[in-house]
Amino acid sequence: MIKLQNVSKSYRVDEDTIFYALKKVSLEIKETEFVSITGPSGSGKSTLMHLIGLLDKPSSGDVIIQGKKISQLSDDELSTLRNEFVGFVFQQFNLIPKLSVLENVLLPTVYARKKLNYDPEAKALELLTKFGLIEKKSSFPNKLSGGQQQRVAVLRALIMEPKLILADEPTGNLDSKSGHDIMKLLGELNRNEKITIVVVTHEADIAAYGKRVIKVKDGQVG
Amino acid sequence: MGYLLFIVRSALEDFKRSKMQTFLTSLGIVIGVFAVIMLMALGLGLKRYISDQFEALGKNTLFVTPGQVLQGGGFGGAASVLGQRFDIKDLTNLSRVKGVVGLAPLSSKSGKAKGTVKTEYISIFFTSADFADIAGLTIDKGRFFDKTDIDKHAKVLVAGPKIAEKLFGSTINALDKRVSVDNVNFTIIGIIKSKGGGGLGGNDYDSYFFGPYTTGFIYDPQKQFIRFAIKTDPNIPLATVKAEINKVMLKRYKDDEFSLLEPTEILSVVNSIFNIMNIVLVAIASISLLVGGIGIMNIMYVTVSDKTREVGVRRALGARKNDILLQFIVESVALSIIGGALGLGLAFLGVLLVQGFFPAYIDVPSMVLALGVSSAIGIVFGVLPARKAANLEPVEAIRYE
Repeated sequence: MIKLQNVSKSYRVDEDTIFYALKKVSLEIKETEFVSITGPSGSGKSTLMHLIGLLDKPSSGDVIIQGKKISQLSDDELSTLRNEFVGFVFQQFNLIPKLSVLENVLLPTVYARKKLNYDPEAKALELLTKFGLIEKKSSFPNKLSGGQQQRVAVLRALIMEPKLILADEPTGNLDSKSGHDIMKLLGELNRNEKITIVVVTHEADIAAYGKRVIKVKDGQVG
Repeated sequence: MGYLLFIVRSALEDFKRSKMQTFLTSLGIVIGVFAVIMLMALGLGLKRYISDQFEALGKNTLFVTPGQVLQGGGFGGAASVLGQRFDIKDLTNLSRVKGVVGLAPLSSKSGKAKGTVKTEYISIFFTSADFADIAGLTIDKGRFFDKTDIDKHAKVLVAGPKIAEKLFGSTINALDKRVSVDNVNFTIIGIIKSKGGGGLGGNDYDSYFFGPYTTGFIYDPQKQFIRFAIKTDPNIPLATVKAEINKVMLKRYKDDEFSLLEPTEILSVVNSIFNIMNIVLVAIASISLLVGGIGIMNIMYVTVSDKTREVGVRRALGARKNDILLQFIVESVALSIIGGALGLGLAFLGVLLVQGFFPAYIDVPSMVLALGVSSAIGIVFGVLPARKAANLEPVEAIRYE
């Protein structure tokens, strides 16, 4: 589903120094996999996640998603791919503070260019009911606990029925119980809905949820 | 939920949470729109007031004045200032023109008038009995002077109600009283009904005296007139009568020594002067709109930097650059339209306040202009900040603390 071929990402620090966040990384993530990407901070795992999530382009090498090289896609095409193909879950939840829970879940559908074969609002309400958040649908994010906010974020990632959910340190701002709840939830989505899950984490017990663990160190995959 | 609706709601939701900030930001636009609309209302009101005065003269009215008054759309009345005048012979000639049904020569006299209550500087229009009809004057008490008074050079005057009250305390007290103007004694034989207004460019007939033109010769041994007002037969085309009058006048005067004016011509000159004045005033007031726009641009830059992370998140969820651009432009347009609407509301209040003593008036085009200009300001001054937001790199934006 996603292939990285000899991917490097570098930044120019000053005139004679170039910093490599990633060095010639090649890897493949297959459909319905549950992969953990782990490594110490500064190892390049966030950069790797941004590349997989189509938020960034490599300095060299190719990121191939469903047979397409992302270097050849326009900004609008990348936006559409992110919208339809990837669901993001962030460490800081990143809900929009002035939108209600329901509106936050609906947000990706606002940016959808394709015609959805379901009613977005009905689907959002169904998801909220299924995951026990229906009573909070009109609340604003600041009235929710961290665990609730992260579940709303997961529902927001699910609304477009993505093939891939990309979670960047999803448990980083949660207490251990809420953290494990979120990981179990992601596990269920992988098992029941056949959604590919990629979790970036530096915590070993969280990484252990993945069926495959990719270790990143000094910009290289071990 | 529709796409646009969602975006507009996002913007408005923002304002609900920071009413004070929203108000202060749009204050510049509020003041700008208020100033522009108020000036337009005053200009328009004044123009309408003066138009009404001319229209009251009716369609079949002509003026004959010395010199070239209307030249190339402006006043160029050098000859009339230089004191060229008409005389009795012109009056006789004009009265013989076919289609002239009313003829009022005009000369005027200013002087000190002594009443029972007060002594005042006053003005008298010496004219014919036709003047009442041409100027639309009606009698309140007593009578207007007639042909007999003119033939007898009668020392009689008809008073405007305002001046009558000033000199004698009330209009009824003034009737049949004597008034002395520069050592000539007159009897007040009538008081006209108030025509109201005045003081704003139009003649305030309420403050004048009117007397027989023959009597006026007491003050003017040369027996001259400054102007003729003519009422024409409505059954004969005005142009025909005008041509006829022109022919008569040309017998004694050169082409550039007199002018034939229709109220509509005068009106169009007045209008063009007012339009220019209005444009200049509105242009000056528009500077405050510019300042208001810069205020909006400033707050939009702050908003964009406050929302950098939100922009990153929206981009991650699939928003295109144009979606982000539109979001911020809608926000700045909403801000400035709120300002525009408040300014317009304020201008309505202002107009209500001054209407007692000034004929201000807000028309529909001014309202459309207010809202149109404020949305244009929102777009123009919102584009730069919105483009900054749209061009943020998703990765950078999402990492932003």
